[in-house]
Amino acid sequence: MKRHHVWRAFAWDETKLRYHRSVLGLFWIIASYALFVGGISLFFSGFASLSAQEFTIYVALGYATFTFLMANIADGSAVFSTSSAWIKSTNLPYSIYVFKSLFRSLLPFVMQLTVAFALMLYFGTFAKVSWHAFMALPALVMFLLCAVPLQYALGLISARYDDIQHSINAITRLLIFITPILWVREEAHGTRGLLADLNPMTHFLEIFRNPLMGMDARPLSWMVVIGVTILMWLFAGLISTLMRQRLPFWI
Amino acid sequence: MSGVSDRSDCRVILENVSLDFPLHSTAKLALMQNQRGVVPPTKDADKLIMKNGRIKGVHALRDLSLTIKSGERVGLIGSNGSGKTTLLQVLAGILPPTKGRVTITGRPTSLINIHLGLMPHATGHRNIMLRGLAAGQDRDTIESKREEIAQFCQLGDFLELPVSTYSAGMRMRLNFAIATAFTPEILILDEWLSAGDQEFKKNASMRMREFVEQAGILVLASHGPDMLLQNCERGIWLDAGRVRQDGGMKEVLKAYQAEKAGKK
Repeated sequence: MKRHHVWRAFAWDETKLRYHRSVLGLFWIIASYALFVGGISLFFSGFASLSAQEFTIYVALGYATFTFLMANIADGSAVFSTSSAWIKSTNLPYSIYVFKSLFRSLLPFVMQLTVAFALMLYFGTFAKVSWHAFMALPALVMFLLCAVPLQYALGLISARYDDIQHSINAITRLLIFITPILWVREEAHGTRGLLADLNPMTHFLEIFRNPLMGMDARPLSWMVVIGVTILMWLFAGLISTLMRQRLPFWI
Repeated sequence: MSGVSDRSDCRVILENVSLDFPLHSTAKLALMQNQRGVVPPTKDADKLIMKNGRIKGVHALRDLSLTIKSGERVGLIGSNGSGKTTLLQVLAGILPPTKGRVTITGRPTSLINIHLGLMPHATGHRNIMLRGLAAGQDRDTIESKREEIAQFCQLGDFLELPVSTYSAGMRMRLNFAIATAFTPEILILDEWLSAGDQEFKKNASMRMREFVEQAGILVLASHGPDMLLQNCERGIWLDAGRVRQDGGMKEVLKAYQAEKAGKK
């Protein structure tokens, strides 16, 4: 962690690179997200009992969070393989690559959230949010606490086995439908409601989105998130002892 | 692997180090299999790790022990595939050995991959900063060295351009200039230094000498006899992952060249 200058500088450079040949640059993140939220809300708002305004914010918050969480899985599985030249020629601690990757995905997330906040300001729903919103901060801390071991472990495993990369595509496609982003969990009954509860993504999403929508998250959600995070650290510790030594040979 | 307070404490010790490169492929010595499925011994058989007729790995280093103390300038020679680069990676603390023990006292700076340490899309100046940060320097130190680095690599206004526009030689100069600017404790160089022109080689040699006089360690792998004789006084000849000869650079080089000539 004390080498934060390193990963911050590198993450910032990589982000700039991604957009350096476009006129709008980083503004593309905001523009494309606003376009997406607008389109989705127009089409889907009729399906939920929320008002059109509320639904728009619901989607704007939910999808940004979902994208960020999924990006950690996708980036995590590539975190070491994309830095192979560095890993094979310097002895920087491997965690630097994880922090770099995490920091890089944080920026688009923050920019997408500004779209959601701008909408809240515009619709004047900020007043309703009140003190609940502060609970979004510990939720964000949990995201980061969970993302570090997740990326570390996934990075090691997928350096050795290509299968992870393939399975992630399959899972992402499924998760986007079984996670309450375009539909509301409270309104889903039977299998759909059960699936949503079994899906840890739901809980990660709700501890962050609920407070910003002026509601408390369920204690169940917090328990799941904390539980998953603890398991993730244990898992990463195990994977690290088993595989870390062999990493430079695999990539 | 932390920095040392006194540079004369720099030390690298290898004790019975072996390193196997695992292969996760299904490479098979199919052609060499006879009717009964038994693989007859080949001339490379002792280099490969076989299991069920498949190649599972390569023995890169075998039971290697050596000690390098501060102020030593070591030249590595050996034919392609003799384990030079692998040994450099072990000395730099990048590859952990399969067996044996490696003790590194001092901070290694390695120039093993020419493309490394440089971000192709960023300018030369930006790369000085990035590379410096990665080497554990703070921003002020890097700024104070910027002028000196620019002076040494002689890239002039090219430092304002992205590194992707540089030629191989230019990249190498920048890379070398940055790596040596922060007075490394243990400097590890692979052969690509020989890609420089005469003038650069001269400057580089001078710089390496200065640095070793300050009680650092230099390990240089090269095929160029001049390069080795100019910069190293101790020579290590690697053959199939083992130390074949360890002694004065001149003698080792002579023996090596004599054998190469004899084989022809």
